[in-house]
Amino acid sequence: MKSRNRILDTVQTPALLVGLVLLVALAGATGDVTTARVATLALVSVVFVVGLSVFSGNSGVMSFGHVMFMAAGAYTTAYLTIPVPLKKTLFADLPGWLSWLAEVHSSFPVALLAGGLVAAVVGLVTAPVVARLSGLQSGIATLAMLLITYNVLNSWTEVTRGSSSMIGIPRGTTTWWAFGVAAAAVVVAWLYRCSRGGLQLRASREDFWAAQASGIAVGRHRATAWVLSALVCGLAGALYAGYLTSFNVNGFFLTATFSFVVMIVLGGYLSLSGAVVGALAVSALQEVLRRFQDGRFTGGNELPAGVADLIVAAVLLVVLVKAPYGLMGVRELRLPRRRRGGGAERRSEAPAKEPVGAA
Amino acid sequence: MILEFLINAVGLGALYALLTIGVALLFGVLGLMNFAYGELILAGAFAMYLFRDQPWPFALLMAIVFAVVVALISERLAFHPLRNADPVTLMIASFAVSLALQSLARMTVLPRTRGVPPERFLSHRVTILGADVSVLDLVTLVLCGVMLLVVAWLMGRTSLGIQLRAAAEDFRMAASLGVKANLVIPAAFVIVGVLSAIGGAVLVARQGSVGADMGLQPMLIGVVGAVLGGMSSLKGAALGGFLLGAATALLESLLPTDLIAFRDAFLFSALIAVLVVRPQGLLSGAKVRVS
Repeated sequence: MKSRNRILDTVQTPALLVGLVLLVALAGATGDVTTARVATLALVSVVFVVGLSVFSGNSGVMSFGHVMFMAAGAYTTAYLTIPVPLKKTLFADLPGWLSWLAEVHSSFPVALLAGGLVAAVVGLVTAPVVARLSGLQSGIATLAMLLITYNVLNSWTEVTRGSSSMIGIPRGTTTWWAFGVAAAAVVVAWLYRCSRGGLQLRASREDFWAAQASGIAVGRHRATAWVLSALVCGLAGALYAGYLTSFNVNGFFLTATFSFVVMIVLGGYLSLSGAVVGALAVSALQEVLRRFQDGRFTGGNELPAGVADLIVAAVLLVVLVKAPYGLMGVRELRLPRRRRGGGAERRSEAPAKEPVGAA
Repeated sequence: MILEFLINAVGLGALYALLTIGVALLFGVLGLMNFAYGELILAGAFAMYLFRDQPWPFALLMAIVFAVVVALISERLAFHPLRNADPVTLMIASFAVSLALQSLARMTVLPRTRGVPPERFLSHRVTILGADVSVLDLVTLVLCGVMLLVVAWLMGRTSLGIQLRAAAEDFRMAASLGVKANLVIPAAFVIVGVLSAIGGAVLVARQGSVGADMGLQPMLIGVVGAVLGGMSSLKGAALGGFLLGAATALLESLLPTDLIAFRDAFLFSALIAVLVVRPQGLLSGAKVRVS
C-alpha cells in the first residue's frame, strides 16, 4: 500500500500538469483560428518556461539569458527547413566555410531535434560561467550572454540576415506538436527534479554552504541543469519558428526575456507547477490585454500601444511585493488529500516551508 | 591630433564614469542593480527636447527636475516596498519599472524618435594649443568633469556623503549607528537623478535625438563599468567607467569598420570574463559583496 501511495505521489503532479496542458491543446484544436494561435503560442511558452524552470527553479539562480537558447533553436529550424531555392536567394552572401548551410534540408521533426541539440551545445559552451557564479553576478552574466547573442545575430548580416526578418519557414508546428513537446518537457523536468542530481541542486538552493559542506558539487549540478534547460528552451525556439513561419531577431531580446520572467515569477519560480500555471496565466492575460488595447472591449476605442506592457509590468511589481514566491510558492499541483474526486486542478493546502534565502 | 583624441577620450571617459556612478551608488546603498536607470536618463533627455526652445541652462535645470522626480517616484512606488528583498528580486523589479516607464513614454509623449537641434555653439570648433577641437567634446569634458568633482566633494566632505558611504559599506551597521534609511535612500535616488539628467543632456547633445529606447545603451554602459570597477566601491566604479569610456574611444578609432558592429559582443565577453575571474572587479581590492 505504502509503495503505491508513493508512486501516486510522484506521478500525480506531472499527470495533472500534462492534463492542464492537454485542456489548452484541446481548446486550441477545437476552437477557431485565433484560439488555435493563442493556445499554440501559450504551449510554446509553457515549453520555454518549463525549460527555464529546470535551471532557475532547481538552482534558485535567476537567468536572464535563456532567450538565446530559443534563438538558437529558431535559427537552426530556419536553416534546416526553409526550401533550398529560397534559401539560396535569402543567403546569397554566405561566407565560404558556411556555404553548406544553403544546401542542407530536413523535415520539421528533425529540425526540431536539431534545434534542441544546437541550443544544448550553446548551453554546454556557456555552462562553465554559470557553474562558477551565484546570485546577482549570475544574473548579470546571463544577461551579458543574451546581449552578445543579440549583437552577433543582429550584426552578422551575411549569415543571420541581421535585422531583416527570417522568412519562408514552412509551417511545421501544429497544436498537437506543441502539446507533445510541452508534455514531454513537463515529464523530463519532473524526472530531473526527482532525480538524485535534481535533489542535490535543490538542496544547494536552500542553503548553498550547507550543500557544499555535505559534499555536493553545486557547480557541476548547476551546469547539468543549465544544459538540460538549454535543450528544452531550444525546442521551444524551434516550435516558435515552425509556427510563426517568420521571425525577427528583435523577438529574441529584452521584451521576450521580460515576458518569460513575468511568467515564471508570477507562477512561482521555485515550483514546476508554477512554471506551467504562470506561462498559461500570463499568455491568457497578454491576449486579453492585447484585445483590450485594440479596443475590442471598449467599443472600438483603440488605446495607445504600450498599455498592455504597462499593465504587465505593474502586475509583476505587485506580485514581487505581495507574493515574492508567486502564485504557487514552493507547492506543486496535487490531488486534494482527503476527498478524492473533487476538482482535480485544486491546489493542495498542505503547508510548505517557504525557502530561506532562495537566491 | 593627439590632443584632440585625448580630449575626446577623456570626455567620453568622464561621461561613462558619471553613468557608472549612478549605477554603483544605488547598488552600494541598497543592493539594487538598477535597470530603470536608462529611463531616468530618458526623463532628462525628454526635458531637453521639451524645452529645446528655451535657453539651455533652463533646459538643463528642467532635465534635472524631471529625472529627480521620476527617480523619487520610482523609489516610492516600486523600491520602497521591496527594501528588504534580495538583489535578484530587486533587479527583476527594476526591469519592470524600466519597461513600465518606457511604455509610458511611448504611449504619451514619445511614440517615435524626435530630433533635438543642437545648440548652435556646440558645433563650432576651436583651436587649443594648435589642436582643432570641437566645442561639443570640450563641453562634455567640462560638464562631466565638474559633475565628478561635485560628487567627489559630496561623498568625501559632507555629512550626507559620509552617511551614504557608510550605508554602502554595511547598511545594517550604519542603520544601527544612527544613519536614517529614510534619509539616505531618497538622497541616493536624488543624486542618481541629477547624474542621469546630466548624462541624458550630454547624450542628447551628442546624438541630436530623443527616443523611448535611448536609455538602454547608457544603462548597459553603467552596468558594465560598475562591474569592471568593482561594484562595492564608488571610486573603483568611477575608475572602471572612465577606463571603459577611454577604451571605447580608442577602439572606435582603431578597430576596422567591419568589426565595429561587434564591439558590444567583445565588450560583454570581457564583462563575463571579469565576472568569472575576478568577481570583485578589476580595480577593487576588497572582497566581493556576497549577494
